Amino acid sequence: MKAIAAWWNAFWFAPAPPLRLGVCRALFFGTLLLWQLPHDFSPWGAYSRVFWMPIWLFETTGLQPLAPAAIAGLQTIWKAALLLSAIGLFTRPAMIVAFGLGAYLMGLPHNFGQTQHFDTLVVFASGALALSHAGDAWSVDAWMAARRTQRPQREQRPQSEQGPQSAQRAIDGEYTWPIKFVWVMMALIFCAAGISKLRHSGLAWIASDNLALLLLRQQYHLSDGEPLTSWGIWVANHPWAARPMAAMSVSVETLFPLTLFSRRARMLLVPAGLGFLVGIRMLMGPTFEQFMLCYVFWVPWDRVLYNAPLYAAHAARGAGDRRGELSTAGTGAGAATGH
Amino acid sequence: MRRICLNVVFLCVIAGSVFDIATDQEHWPFSQYPMFSGLWTSPTFTWLRLFGVTADGREFALDANRYVAPFDQSRLPKALKRLMDGPGGAARVRAALPDLLARYEQLRRADAHEGPPIVALRLYELEWTIDRHAANVDRPDRRRFIAEARP
Repeated sequence: MKAIAAWWNAFWFAPAPPLRLGVCRALFFGTLLLWQLPHDFSPWGAYSRVFWMPIWLFETTGLQPLAPAAIAGLQTIWKAALLLSAIGLFTRPAMIVAFGLGAYLMGLPHNFGQTQHFDTLVVFASGALALSHAGDAWSVDAWMAARRTQRPQREQRPQSEQGPQSAQRAIDGEYTWPIKFVWVMMALIFCAAGISKLRHSGLAWIASDNLALLLLRQQYHLSDGEPLTSWGIWVANHPWAARPMAAMSVSVETLFPLTLFSRRARMLLVPAGLGFLVGIRMLMGPTFEQFMLCYVFWVPWDRVLYNAPLYAAHAARGAGDRRGELSTAGTGAGAATGH
Repeated sequence: MRRICLNVVFLCVIAGSVFDIATDQEHWPFSQYPMFSGLWTSPTFTWLRLFGVTADGREFALDANRYVAPFDQSRLPKALKRLMDGPGGAARVRAALPDLLARYEQLRRADAHEGPPIVALRLYELEWTIDRHAANVDRPDRRRFIAEARP
């Protein structure tokens, strides 16, 4: 039991610097704002009650569609909260507002006849960030706090005494769990989709013409987004392509939870999952862009940002060396040809 | 104390997800994610579609999302199907169509689409045989009239 508890704590609360979570926060809310900016939820408030078929969350909480003007007001506040969350100004209250209003606004359309699944992970990720200390890095709040505290510290103590204490404060398990939470939810979502296919169709989902028919059917204007290409027709007409694609889809989905435990599985399944979502958008139409935004949580931004200048310097040195080699080679060639 | 609360949150959210997966139910934002899980074996399928009627009696399919936004071509037919299949289905569909007609005209006046002015909106159930090149998208095998709305 102790071993399980230790593993559980190590999984969620492994000490980490705040940078990675801060970058995830900025990119997640920033890209979500860019995606949602042109979307207007207010027309949902204008439909007659005959269309209102409340989902569980709205039915149990008694949430109702508001008037269009009220929804327009809420979405303005929501988008402002997304902006503040992205830049990290009043970060904690902004993220709480972004989560609360986002859950209402993104949930609202699902009460009109069909529950779609593009935004569930966004709701969970927003909720996790709202509870987190994601504003401790890469935020205006952190920058202002640093300015406030550094000034008196500089006056009181030499710089060499400040370093270790700052580093100790900076590394904490609080900066790990929100990222792991998004990982777990993404794994559950992919796995659930794979299990659903196997439960309802069994291996016939892979071994029959199911995917071919599905790809063709999606060309008849049935989706929330049109397929971005007509490649689905080509795949549908080549069973040697359609069936392995079906097998790969189910495999990536059901095996995705391995990403939580294995670095190798992560290297393979995380890009495969992203490719799977891109493939759906290209071949079938459904708009999983919001879900894809949550992929920012898989990138080790602390390492990327730490290594980027080193790579740039290395590349510059390499380019300099190559220029040197080329000029040497050029001299040699010139000499060889007698110029 | 904070860690205990966080652990409770993790367990509740994971339990909610696992419950929906195990019981094949949906409680948004929890879900069993059933999209495309059914097995397609039939070469034919039916789908509800709205048609606009112009002043000279011409009909055209509202088969792009911009005509019916914020609905889309997935959610709207499914919503109308649920209305049709529920108690008092015909009356509920007749009550729903004027909203969709008003929305089409509102979007047209706002230049959100390039469709012509319409004097009526008709709902049909279309049936297609799936073509291996999807060449018959605009030519369903059959269509069944369901309801009409006029301003």
